[in-house]
Amino acid sequence: MKIRSIPIALAIASAFLPSAHAKLNVVATLPDYAAVAREIGGGKVEVTALAKPTEDPHFVDARPSFVVKLRTADVLIEGGAELEAGWLPPLLQNARNAKIERGKPGRVVASEGIRLLDVPATLSRAAGDVHASGNPHFMVDPIIAKAVAQHIAQAFAGLDPANAAGYQANYAKFEASIDAKLQDWGRALLPFKGQPLAAYHDSWVYFAHRFGFTIETFLEPKPGIPPSPSHLAEVIGRMKKEHVRAILVEPFQNRKIAEKVASSTGAHVVDAAQFPGAIPNTDGYVAHIDGLVARVVAALK
Amino acid sequence: MTFKIRSAFALVACASIAVAQDAPAPDRQADVQLLRKQMLEMQASIQQMQTQHAREIEGLKAQVAAQQKALDDFQKTAGAAQSASTLMPPATESLFPTTDASVVAASPTAAAPDAIPTIDTSVVAGPTLGGPPITLAGGGKTYLNISLDVLINAAASTARDLEIIEVGDHDPLHRGFNARNTELVFDGAVDPYFEGFANIVFKLDPQNETSVEVEEAFAQTTGLPWNIQVKAGQFFSPFGRINTMHPHTWDFIDAPLVHGRLLGPDGLRGVGVQVSWIVPTPWYSQLLLAVQNGEGSTGFSFRNRGDGGTFAGRETIDRQLRGIQDFIFIPRWESAFAFGSTKTLLTGVSAAFGPNDTGANAHTQIYAVDAFYKWKPANAGGGWPYVKWQSEAMARRFEAGRGLDDSFAARETFNDWGAYSQVIWGFKTGWSAGVRGDYLHMSQSQITDDPERQSRWRLSADLTWFPSEFSKLRLQYNHDFLEASHFLGGRDVDSVFLQLEFALGAHGAHKF
Repeated sequence: MKIRSIPIALAIASAFLPSAHAKLNVVATLPDYAAVAREIGGGKVEVTALAKPTEDPHFVDARPSFVVKLRTADVLIEGGAELEAGWLPPLLQNARNAKIERGKPGRVVASEGIRLLDVPATLSRAAGDVHASGNPHFMVDPIIAKAVAQHIAQAFAGLDPANAAGYQANYAKFEASIDAKLQDWGRALLPFKGQPLAAYHDSWVYFAHRFGFTIETFLEPKPGIPPSPSHLAEVIGRMKKEHVRAILVEPFQNRKIAEKVASSTGAHVVDAAQFPGAIPNTDGYVAHIDGLVARVVAALK
Repeated sequence: MTFKIRSAFALVACASIAVAQDAPAPDRQADVQLLRKQMLEMQASIQQMQTQHAREIEGLKAQVAAQQKALDDFQKTAGAAQSASTLMPPATESLFPTTDASVVAASPTAAAPDAIPTIDTSVVAGPTLGGPPITLAGGGKTYLNISLDVLINAAASTARDLEIIEVGDHDPLHRGFNARNTELVFDGAVDPYFEGFANIVFKLDPQNETSVEVEEAFAQTTGLPWNIQVKAGQFFSPFGRINTMHPHTWDFIDAPLVHGRLLGPDGLRGVGVQVSWIVPTPWYSQLLLAVQNGEGSTGFSFRNRGDGGTFAGRETIDRQLRGIQDFIFIPRWESAFAFGSTKTLLTGVSAAFGPNDTGANAHTQIYAVDAFYKWKPANAGGGWPYVKWQSEAMARRFEAGRGLDDSFAARETFNDWGAYSQVIWGFKTGWSAGVRGDYLHMSQSQITDDPERQSRWRLSADLTWFPSEFSKLRLQYNHDFLEASHFLGGRDVDSVFLQLEFALGAHGAHKF
């Protein structure tokens, strides 16, 4: 009787006491941060992404279920470059979780330490929904993803010192795999270096910068402003002139418009996604970039 | 009732004690540890910087040497026809440049042939190890977010007394152009303990005179333990759904009938304190209790002196707060349920209790249920498409006393109720269409000739175009049917409104 009840008592106690081996509860605003956090955290963390990989990260609903997740989070990973400005603030106001307040070790701001591109010199919404801090779609650059991964590893190590070595080892593994993969990706895209590409929205500047493309033709006349017929006519003219052969379209953008432009210019529509998991079998960060590179190569061949 | 008040005060007291005790001993120790950790990290980073610099210098030396060699080679073969081909150093004749001094400070893979850079200091500021990461850019860089939101309405109606047909104070109340909601919004972190919010509304009346309204101005706590949050100041009472939303976030140009007639033209809001607690359930569930003065026109059904000292036909009594029993108490319980990743249902029950000014011992109770459902597909772009359904039902028990010095003929009790239900369909990026049905039942009286006590129906339809997130154009049609009462005849009214909204300044965030 006594012997039997001890494990039960222990089990009950462990259910209520905050155990030293409890997993870190990590909430990431976007699926790319979540994917990297999973690589770094391994089995020691529980990661939840708020935004779905297929939806527009600028316009995520501040669903009450997110408050429940944020309320109990040990770590919040956000971009911090205004991408989540339309939905994260009210969630955090209601979550009342001191651990993830700005400045606390549990708040990881991924854009910190990143030199954001396209920081506007002047701010005017006449130029569309520009981000004052620079272009926030930086995770498609694997070199930046490494820096974010390192940032996350440091945050995890600080909050969970018992597993610090594990997090550092996972980061080293991630870094090595990205370094190796960069060679593959670079080689695969090298034949097309310098080629101009088109995109629906200006979310590929970091990808272009990394692999030597120019992406300066957008179906949106200005960031966040839907394509107009006159602008599309202009785009078609420019694409023909510059021999643009691919249009990058994300899952939440209007593919039909891109198809129309593609059919009148002879370009291919590339199903490109900013986020791992948006396209089947691209759940991890490496698989995600693998897929992206493969689809761009297929379109340009 | 007193028990509730006591427990509310006890909660506030406990919370403040907890805040006070939270600070000293363990924190100092943590600070020392943190400092030590930071020192160590700084040492490490300095060491790393030193080695990096050494490596950089080595790299530069090598480059200089290579250039010197190339120069020497060039000089040796100067004049010869084949000089051009020897210009290129043989080591870089690979697929990828091995180094890129313009973007890479010191690449550990510099020696490896065929390598593309794996470090790029043009995008990554440097090793984040040690010390705080360098913030070159980031949101939340200002102490205060400021924005301006303006609603301009044009109104056409078959009614000459549109101010009786429209029930909200920010609705188009006059035929022609209306500018009844120019709103300045401020928010920011006060300090590590509070966040502050203020909405100041400027209204233009038909004489083009401006009146100013402190719609909301409150501070709320950020880090109280046990999922508790305290809010204090002037704020929307946590009653129902539309009452806590600013008019520019509504899906129709005007207020629903129940909102304007049972809570008041300005809704229910006032100066007071609110305590809320997120229940630690796996789904979202929150209990709220607000205590407010409930005085004046924003406490419409409570201690409201009414228009020129008359409310519900009675001459109102003007009195100071006698005690806790004169506050209004507003409890609310809200819960949300997520169905998969695309559907959400938010439900709530609310009540408001307090005295009113039509008699020495007259009270008001209002009860409400509300529901909001939203569907948005997993591949929504720019927030579209979506379907939203929103409904609220309210019932008010209003004890109308005999007025100042028992001057009115009789005491009456009004049982008024009503509901609205609306569906909004965001059918195409930047576009939405909506329909709304509205009903208000005001209990009949043979002695009270208040023109607002008229039962009525309303049907509305609207079409909205959002050129961007910061502007909208909305066209709305209303058909009102007012039922005949003892004092007023029945009538039909048709109205058409056109609204322009524009917003300047800080990027607004949207509550669910």
